[in-house]
Amino acid sequence: MHIPDGFLSVPVWAAMSTITVPSVAYMARRAQREVEESRVPLLGVMGAFVFAAQMINFPVGVGTTGHLLGGALLAFTLGPAAASVVMTAILAIQALVFQDGGLLALGANVFNMAVAGVLVGYLPYHFWGGGRRRKAAIFAGAALSVLAGAVLALAELRLSGVAMPNAAVWVSLGLFTINAAIEGGITLAALSSLEALNPSWLRRPAADGRSVLGVLAAAAVLLATVGVLFAAASPDGLEKLAENLGIASRARVLLGSPLADYETGFFSSEWLRKASAGLAGLALIYGVCIALARVISRRRSA
Amino acid sequence: MHHVVLDKWSRGDSLLHRRDPRGKVLGLLAFLIIVATTPPASGMAAAGYGAFLLIAVWIARLPLGGVLTRGAVVLPFSLAFAAMSLIEGDGVRALALVEKSYLSALAVVIVAGTTPMPNLLRGLESLGLPRFLLLVVQFLYRYLFVVSEQAQHMRVAAGARGALSAWTLCRRWRFRAAAGAVAVLFSRSYARADGIYRAMMARGFQGHIPLLATHRFGWSDLGFLTVAIVIPATLRFGLGA
Repeated sequence: MHIPDGFLSVPVWAAMSTITVPSVAYMARRAQREVEESRVPLLGVMGAFVFAAQMINFPVGVGTTGHLLGGALLAFTLGPAAASVVMTAILAIQALVFQDGGLLALGANVFNMAVAGVLVGYLPYHFWGGGRRRKAAIFAGAALSVLAGAVLALAELRLSGVAMPNAAVWVSLGLFTINAAIEGGITLAALSSLEALNPSWLRRPAADGRSVLGVLAAAAVLLATVGVLFAAASPDGLEKLAENLGIASRARVLLGSPLADYETGFFSSEWLRKASAGLAGLALIYGVCIALARVISRRRSA
Repeated sequence: MHHVVLDKWSRGDSLLHRRDPRGKVLGLLAFLIIVATTPPASGMAAAGYGAFLLIAVWIARLPLGGVLTRGAVVLPFSLAFAAMSLIEGDGVRALALVEKSYLSALAVVIVAGTTPMPNLLRGLESLGLPRFLLLVVQFLYRYLFVVSEQAQHMRVAAGARGALSAWTLCRRWRFRAAAGAVAVLFSRSYARADGIYRAMMARGFQGHIPLLATHRFGWSDLGFLTVAIVIPATLRFGLGA
């Protein structure tokens, strides 16, 4: 789901951009270190490949067709850092040339699909990609990457105050799940054919991952993703929690003393309260992603 | 294919085409931010932005109908969400969503339609974006149409073999054939990237794709940037408050 300009409120797009810029810079540096110089054209051509592969129709359901989205496929072949860079490049071209997604919203779109989507998608493959549950890991990774990106986009829209009837939210969640399953199936089929052509194109994950850590990480991601959506659906709930824990009152004392006159104005503003509740949720997910990136990179270098 | 249109427009010549890409990018960002921060219930300001963009299209000698239809790509998305806002009883926001997304898309089309992609990317690079990422974007854009064409050829070939007709093969088979097509496209792209790298090395690639014409940020660019910021800002605070 590509968010166009004009949908995200200022705090949301500003926050997403400040999160995305260092993440992409980090991914670009990692990718540059990981891949040899000869692979720079490879990354660009692989981006073009994902565009072109979207023209290949897969029959799904009755009389309908689906196509590959590609984020997870790239992560399984090029590695998460390079996949993240390629997806960022794809989103940039889509925003500039095809008006698919906005330019200011690029920060949010890149985070949803190129950073969170790719990392979350790579996670199951990293832990189980080498063992008996390899096929399940590929399917789950591709499905998760689509699901995470779409749910994040939905949460950002709701945080920005875009009104949606509750029924519409549930319907879109259902559609996202179907899309995620389709992406999982297509990625699995494409990777099997790819492996038949040349097994060395697939990245070798650790032979047998530590299952407990993997389950924990996957559960954390799932919880955080769903949590963000619910936080966005009812920011008041999160705010009440903060109130109960005394965070709000403490913050009020902290911020209120030098700015006593502004205090009521500051905290009674609906806009700011919603924004801060939302930012807390997004910060949570960001923390999870960073931690994952750390774990993944440490594992690989070890 | 419709992509060629934007490429063709960007090779034209006008007052807007000749401006430094950095000025255009900064002006575009300023415009987008001004539009994004405009309060929802300010139809006058939106009309003002629209008029400003129309003047830009006229100065750039771009075909008006073409620009309007390219920008309209965002409308299905915007209209869906506008309808939901309307159901929730927020007509003002519904209108604002459509207005803002369409105006922003038009502004992007105008800048992309007056700046060739290599110059635009070089402009972004001198504004501080990482070169590695921009190099990937550059290669992606260069080979996008080549690889897409290859995919189309493969599709025609598959059709000639009868692989696309719905009744000849069962669904399972067609699914597997499509997966095979993706894998073949992947392997051809891989091989192509290898060839590209060798050709680049043979021609003495230095980590930069050279431009035919470079820009200097001159007084006229400064003037353009000032106009591009001051007029929308005036509209925003004069009519939008």
